[in-house]
Amino acid sequence: MLDEILHILAAAIISWILFVTVDIFFRLPETGGVSGASAIARDIEATGGALSGGTMMGNIVCSPDASAGTLLAACGVYVAGIPGGLAAALMVFIGNRICYDPGYAGTTGAILATFVVYAFTLIGFSATDFIAGMVIAILTIQGLSHAHASRLLARLWRVRQ
Amino acid sequence: MIALYIVAAIAAFAAIRAIVEKNTGRKLPYANVLSFAVSGALVLLLDHPLSLVAAAAYFVGSTLESNAIASTYSGGVKR
Repeated sequence: MLDEILHILAAAIISWILFVTVDIFFRLPETGGVSGASAIARDIEATGGALSGGTMMGNIVCSPDASAGTLLAACGVYVAGIPGGLAAALMVFIGNRICYDPGYAGTTGAILATFVVYAFTLIGFSATDFIAGMVIAILTIQGLSHAHASRLLARLWRVRQ
Repeated sequence: MIALYIVAAIAAFAAIRAIVEKNTGRKLPYANVLSFAVSGALVLLLDHPLSLVAAAAYFVGSTLESNAIASTYSGGVKR
């Protein structure tokens, strides 16, 4: 039981690094993909957050990004192995187009996550660890403190620039 | 099994925060966590290839709804 909890925590850290890296690489903090993402960013900034971090959080809300890709890829690997993860990537791609998102952060994240999750299943992790891990990872960004999360993302974004 | 409990607890936590938060712009990230948790719980509960399609459909649908609410909230399309 303790093993499973440790695996889930490790999976949360791995998923966090994976999705934040892919999202920042695809410049999500730069501009709001849709006007709604910019509105969310302004509201987060109003509580003491950072605008670029808030923009990334708004973009995560408004279209499936690398975090959604990681979650669905982990679900795909759980139900059907690598083909399941790649099917999830296809669904994220369709989801991006439905949500009026011109980017490829979600699809790239899903493909990368498929291989990362599969590799970890070979060394004793379970794909369910990554499903719970990704939910914990998104909770730390979107669900605990918007002001702190947006400032952290803004700091990482400045490093990227 | 623990994974399912963690995901369900996070879903309940996010739902409460989304209800308590009054500002629409700040409410939506909590709703986003909720859709992550519900999609994950769906696959953990139903171990079947089609549950992936259900989770993806639910996730994309709820994201599109958040997108629509956020865009309307920001003033909609300017013509």
